[in-house]
Amino acid sequence: MNKDDKFAEAGKTAVMQNVQGLIGFLQSYPPFNLMEPAHLAWLVEQAQLRFFAAGEPILQPQDGPVQRFFIVKQGLIRGERVVADADRPDTTFEIGTGECFPLAALLGERATRTLHRAAQDSFCLTIERDAFVTLFSRSLPFRDFALRGVSSLLDQVNQQAQKQASETLGAHYSLDARLDELVGHSPVHCLPDTPIRSAVRQMHEASIGSIVITDEALAPLGIFTLRDLRALIASDEVDLTRPLSSVMTPDPAALPSSASAFDAAIAMTRRHIAHICLVDDGRLTGVVSERDLFSLQRVNLVHLARTLRQAESVERLAALRSHIHQLVDSMLAHGASSGQITRIITLFNDHTVCRVIELSIAEHGDPGVPFSWLCFGSEGRQEQTLHTDQDNGMMFSAASPEQAEERRTLLLPLADKINQALAQCGFTLCKGNIMASNPELCLSAREWQARFDRIIASTTPANLLKSAIYFDFRVVWGDRRAADQVFSGVLRKIGSNTLFQQQMAQNALQHRPPIGRLRDFVVARSGAEKDTLDIKVQGLGPFVDGARLLALANGIAVSNTLERLQQLRQRGVLDPLDADAYIEGYQFIQLVRMQQHQQQEREQRPFSNRLDPDSLNQLDRRILRESFRQAKRLQGSLALRYNL
Amino acid sequence: MNPLSWLGTRRQAMDSEQQARLARLPTPQALDDTLLERCRLVVVDLETSGLNVNRDRILSVGAVVVENGSIDLGSQYECTLFQENHRVTESVLIHGIAPSEVARGVAPADALLDFMAFADNGVFVAFHAAFDQRMLQRGLRQTLNTRLRHVFLDVAELAPMLYPEVTGRKTLDDWQDYFQLRNSQRHHAAADALATAEILLILLSRARAQGIATLAELNSRLRHWRRLRQARIGSL
Repeated sequence: MNKDDKFAEAGKTAVMQNVQGLIGFLQSYPPFNLMEPAHLAWLVEQAQLRFFAAGEPILQPQDGPVQRFFIVKQGLIRGERVVADADRPDTTFEIGTGECFPLAALLGERATRTLHRAAQDSFCLTIERDAFVTLFSRSLPFRDFALRGVSSLLDQVNQQAQKQASETLGAHYSLDARLDELVGHSPVHCLPDTPIRSAVRQMHEASIGSIVITDEALAPLGIFTLRDLRALIASDEVDLTRPLSSVMTPDPAALPSSASAFDAAIAMTRRHIAHICLVDDGRLTGVVSERDLFSLQRVNLVHLARTLRQAESVERLAALRSHIHQLVDSMLAHGASSGQITRIITLFNDHTVCRVIELSIAEHGDPGVPFSWLCFGSEGRQEQTLHTDQDNGMMFSAASPEQAEERRTLLLPLADKINQALAQCGFTLCKGNIMASNPELCLSAREWQARFDRIIASTTPANLLKSAIYFDFRVVWGDRRAADQVFSGVLRKIGSNTLFQQQMAQNALQHRPPIGRLRDFVVARSGAEKDTLDIKVQGLGPFVDGARLLALANGIAVSNTLERLQQLRQRGVLDPLDADAYIEGYQFIQLVRMQQHQQQEREQRPFSNRLDPDSLNQLDRRILRESFRQAKRLQGSLALRYNL
Repeated sequence: MNPLSWLGTRRQAMDSEQQARLARLPTPQALDDTLLERCRLVVVDLETSGLNVNRDRILSVGAVVVENGSIDLGSQYECTLFQENHRVTESVLIHGIAPSEVARGVAPADALLDFMAFADNGVFVAFHAAFDQRMLQRGLRQTLNTRLRHVFLDVAELAPMLYPEVTGRKTLDDWQDYFQLRNSQRHHAAADALATAEILLILLSRARAQGIATLAELNSRLRHWRRLRQARIGSL
């Protein structure tokens, strides 16, 4: 080794320790943690370290096309956008240690649209545009992140959640997968006049559980399954030479082959059927069975729905409920989003409620008065998690106040029985007595109308609280026409009552998302809840309240928060990008909450919505913070809209 | 073993190539009207065999350059010098450079020539600069037989001058704490230089905010500050 080499080597090792230190720093933050060490080392060697004093602008729209890429080594950077009519600029984002900017402007070779200002004394690593471009072309994880930003991280989180849950279950595909990707073989089908025997032989030879009956043009007419065969054999007259069309189930359920596995799961659960035809342009292209969806699972979606709907007693129903918990685990394993999981849980809860009502009527005797079963709150929004309590009511028709009183007397004992039976099934009795057995919530359609009118007309704090519960409203059992009519009256009245809207807006601003100016998260300082935040009230609350207000004010009748946000997006009430960000934020917080509940369930601890942010990994923390910030932005837009 | 063995007596004559390199070194920057962000600030940290500027030897040189208000992480400098007869002293406990590492180092003449070429015409900056200045002076005189003409700025002076509201901070660690700078590899020449350079970035930002734009202005503020401090100490 000559002198120069020796010199270079000795110097390099020591300097490498500085470089190594910075690489180590970068490796604790995404996307750098996914990048190859050689690319990171190259990044650091290209980098400069810069200091920005608190308040100093770093990037400004008037600077022209962005020339540098910044990674915050220490400190906090704020994005500011000047809003007309506001005396202070709107903080559109905050960028903390380990995060980087500006991606869109660099990729678009343009100036930044947002003023980036140091919110604290901050150090940033910077690389020149050319180095950024080189890195972009060399490192796949970096490119992915640069192109898709935080969304690419969300995918990572979902993969993590999926992996975590699948470790116990072994799932191999996502619920978002297209059905035609899941269904391998071509469908087995026959014409209507095929004799039963030869159709069954065809099923046997292909070793499949169903055969679709189609016409000459392959349009499905009916389906025949092993279940039907069992029933047929059990019946007295078995003539296997009869045409299959005489024993098939007509009008089989159908989905396009582009539908997702989740769509199929929902359809199967809702109608408790195990086979769905894939039909494109009126022609049969495949059959998806429950086995295709959940082949490796102990928990069986359709079977569970069926058993719930046919359970012979409340005790049996209660016992079946634990299967729903396993189901949530397996859905997480299949990469279901929190929105999908809450919808499935709600579907099962609906089955349970319906069966409880049927069993209660059977036991108690039919009161002879038709009624609808209403639910409110999270059940009304179809956003139930495993941690659920009862918010329900009854609606019936009555021609006069006297008749209403009379019918109420008949229905109340049944309502009480239903409430108690639901409690037995794990739906906690409502502490605020928002239950059908409460005479104030067992009302005729006219009485409900009057009750809602009162809530809207006089905006006391108590009424506002009620509006938050009652206006997330859905019919689970019984006729829904009367209820729909009442609710469209509610929408009309709220739409024209700006005072009420404003009060609701004020209410929606009550719970602030738990992020502070300087620290990551704002947590309880002392007591049993020290170092934790309430992920439901503080995190989900702003989205739920905001979506409700905007939906009610704009005549949108759906009650599900995600659907409300989607419709607000479609109608142009919310900016599409904003709405998407709210939806992602809401879903992520819900996912974190659900994972926490699953964890508590496994450890046999009581369900709680208190979360210690330090228990999350770096990636989850960052996205949670971003999600809370979206909640804050939603509140900010409400304040602006309603001049608060 | 004669502790002065490194002085004079065993100095090796430079070869012609080394002579040529020495001659090529540029004239250093003076404390003139050059804008602060226009000049090359070479933040230097020397690890030595001890704290005696007359007797101890330079073991390694670490340097980081601040230019245009930023630290270029791609051009850091560190070199462990090859010194004969290096013995373990209490200093080893501080800087952690093992005798074996010193033995693997580069010959002092080459190392210092290389370092001076790296420093170019820059202004040296160090924490407690007087020590680094005198060590380097002696090293250059004895090894290269040349005079160190570069000027030094002392972060241990600049920091209290620009942050008069901060009291009781004396060491590099103190100021690192104050500015909440994390540095895992302290007492390694390159790491110390980087830590000092980070503080320098903060100080340059503060100086700019106080209307100090040029080297000359900074120097005049420093002289004023030293007189004030002397007066204050005198009046006590």
